[in-house]
Amino acid sequence: MYFLGVDIGSLSCDAVLVDEGGRPLAWSVVPTGARNVEAIAAARAQVLEQAGVAEADLGGVVSTGYGRARVEGRLAAVTEITCHARGIEAQLPGTRLLVDIGGQDSKAILLDGSGRVVEFAMNDKCAAGTGRFLEAMARALQVELTRLGELDARAAGRSLTLSSMCTVFAESEVVSLIAEGAEVPEIVNALHRAIAARTQALVRRVAPDAATLGAAMSGGVARNAGVVRAIGAALGCVLQVPPEPDTVGALGAALIARERAAS
Amino acid sequence: MILPYFENLQSGIAAKLETLGANEPRARKRFALEIARLGVRLFSPPRPGERVAWCGVLAPFDLLHAMGVTSCFAEFVGAMLASTGAVEPMLAAAEGAGYSTDCCSYHRAVTGATMQGLMPKPDFLIATSAPCTGGVAVIESLARHFERPLFVIHVPQRTDGRGVVQLADQLRRMVAFVEEQTGEPLDPARLARSMALTNQARELLVELYDLARARPGPARRRDLFNFGLVIGLLLGSEAAVEVARTYRDELNLRVERGVAGVPGERVRLLWLQNRVQFRSPLEEMLENAGAAVVVDELNSVTWEPIDADRPFEGLARRMLSIPLCGPVERRIALLQRLARDYTVDGAVNPCHWGCRQGSGARGLIERGLREVGVPVLNLEVDCVDPRSFAPGQLQTRIEAFAELLSQRGGG
Repeated sequence: MYFLGVDIGSLSCDAVLVDEGGRPLAWSVVPTGARNVEAIAAARAQVLEQAGVAEADLGGVVSTGYGRARVEGRLAAVTEITCHARGIEAQLPGTRLLVDIGGQDSKAILLDGSGRVVEFAMNDKCAAGTGRFLEAMARALQVELTRLGELDARAAGRSLTLSSMCTVFAESEVVSLIAEGAEVPEIVNALHRAIAARTQALVRRVAPDAATLGAAMSGGVARNAGVVRAIGAALGCVLQVPPEPDTVGALGAALIARERAAS
Repeated sequence: MILPYFENLQSGIAAKLETLGANEPRARKRFALEIARLGVRLFSPPRPGERVAWCGVLAPFDLLHAMGVTSCFAEFVGAMLASTGAVEPMLAAAEGAGYSTDCCSYHRAVTGATMQGLMPKPDFLIATSAPCTGGVAVIESLARHFERPLFVIHVPQRTDGRGVVQLADQLRRMVAFVEEQTGEPLDPARLARSMALTNQARELLVELYDLARARPGPARRRDLFNFGLVIGLLLGSEAAVEVARTYRDELNLRVERGVAGVPGERVRLLWLQNRVQFRSPLEEMLENAGAAVVVDELNSVTWEPIDADRPFEGLARRMLSIPLCGPVERRIALLQRLARDYTVDGAVNPCHWGCRQGSGARGLIERGLREVGVPVLNLEVDCVDPRSFAPGQLQTRIEAFAELLSQRGGG
């Protein structure tokens, strides 16, 4: 028997397939686009094909993410907070603090050290500092989203500060900085530090002593080493990042599917 | 627009109550009927001998009732407009006049309704400096708009004996102000009757809140929604006693029969401050997640019976006992007590936008409830303005909170 977890986010739809022992066999990340049902089908088909597993051999599916109610034939829909907690415990056991930045929200999750959520906080009111924010900034900078981490590494740092975190205003501020001749790596660094400052405030709400906890980061934004470094610096610790950070939620969902099927 | 609404509501509920079977729930409808009657009195054209006062939330409505004044807190109108889906043009009107969307939407709604000519002209106004100064500003603004006299009660921050003396003295001066407006002196017999009715209602409220602590919680989804604050408008009248008795009897019956107000109650929640007033899927989301709101912060009796021999001191003590007055530690202590009394698993703080009471103490409240083992979910919603409601985000927060509470053994 195999178990599938599907995480339908605003930017990407992620799927992970695990075997009876809970070992990940395959994963996929596809853009969610405007029709998330199609993205779900594509992600599902990809992992089954990669692992050479037939639909009939699926022992259970658990969905998560904002589109979790759109997955048909699921055992359960579980929130991404619980799924990320479960997923990170499988990949980085003993994690006590998880920062998850996805397409449209940021979360700080305090864990008990065995994958259970003790407390969580989510971004208030607006989605500044999330994946969508970085996507807009990369567009304004005319660089690939995947290059932001590498550009940040080239910055001398702290020469620039962004005054607005509103996506629209920050975008125009970035455009102005480019026009004024600011170096792109410095702008990227400033963006990352601004995200880190917001994230730090979020983390402090659940873990005032974040520096003493084993901390990790998940979600697509964790692929950006510049953001990971900046948040770690703000919190006074080094954030661990699992090998596939964007599929942590889907992995957690797959593991919950395995548990639920057994019970 | 508003008067026909209350008239239709009144006749509709009255007719419905006539047809209800003996075992059908009626308390909420009985309560709504009294609110509709109040609405009709407030919004009807002026009639000889009838006086209307717009007030702050903490005004002594039973004392005003004893003086023959129909009174109501202005925020009631904001909530009513939101619940009927009519609030957006009012908010837009206030914003068009320059009010920031960061201002409290209860107050923006009242301001907008005034600008649209929907607020009835009062005979006079009474502001209370607690629970918020925004409320004072709205009442002041109404007084200026209608060119009617205003009395401001400065609720002291100190809640000890000196605070009581100071506030009781202001209430006496308020009576003198009302007498001047109405031309009629306060009748001691009528005051005594009003205080006796207040005390009768109080006893019944204590009983019904005690019953609401049962497991499973006997109150249905909207039974006690907006109850504690709004019943205050009826205090000093037979109506308050009748409504409280109906609730008491109904909850008693349900507790005896073990009937859950919210079927499938797995986790029990304490709701802080105000509910979301406009129609939203929030309550359904909570219930789908197995969560029942078993107690609202404002549904509690924090005051002792009013001493018939010293009514002004008794009323002053009651005002000061409301935990939205004075230092926040008192509010936190009440929340901790409610959390224990009702054996809640978690608490929900809507953190109403633009409200310092709602958001200012967010961290302190979280810490205070954490001390008694109760996690808090901060929703960050506007309770009146539906334009910024984001159901997807809220659903994730609510479901994740319910999952967290279930993992802790709450469900």
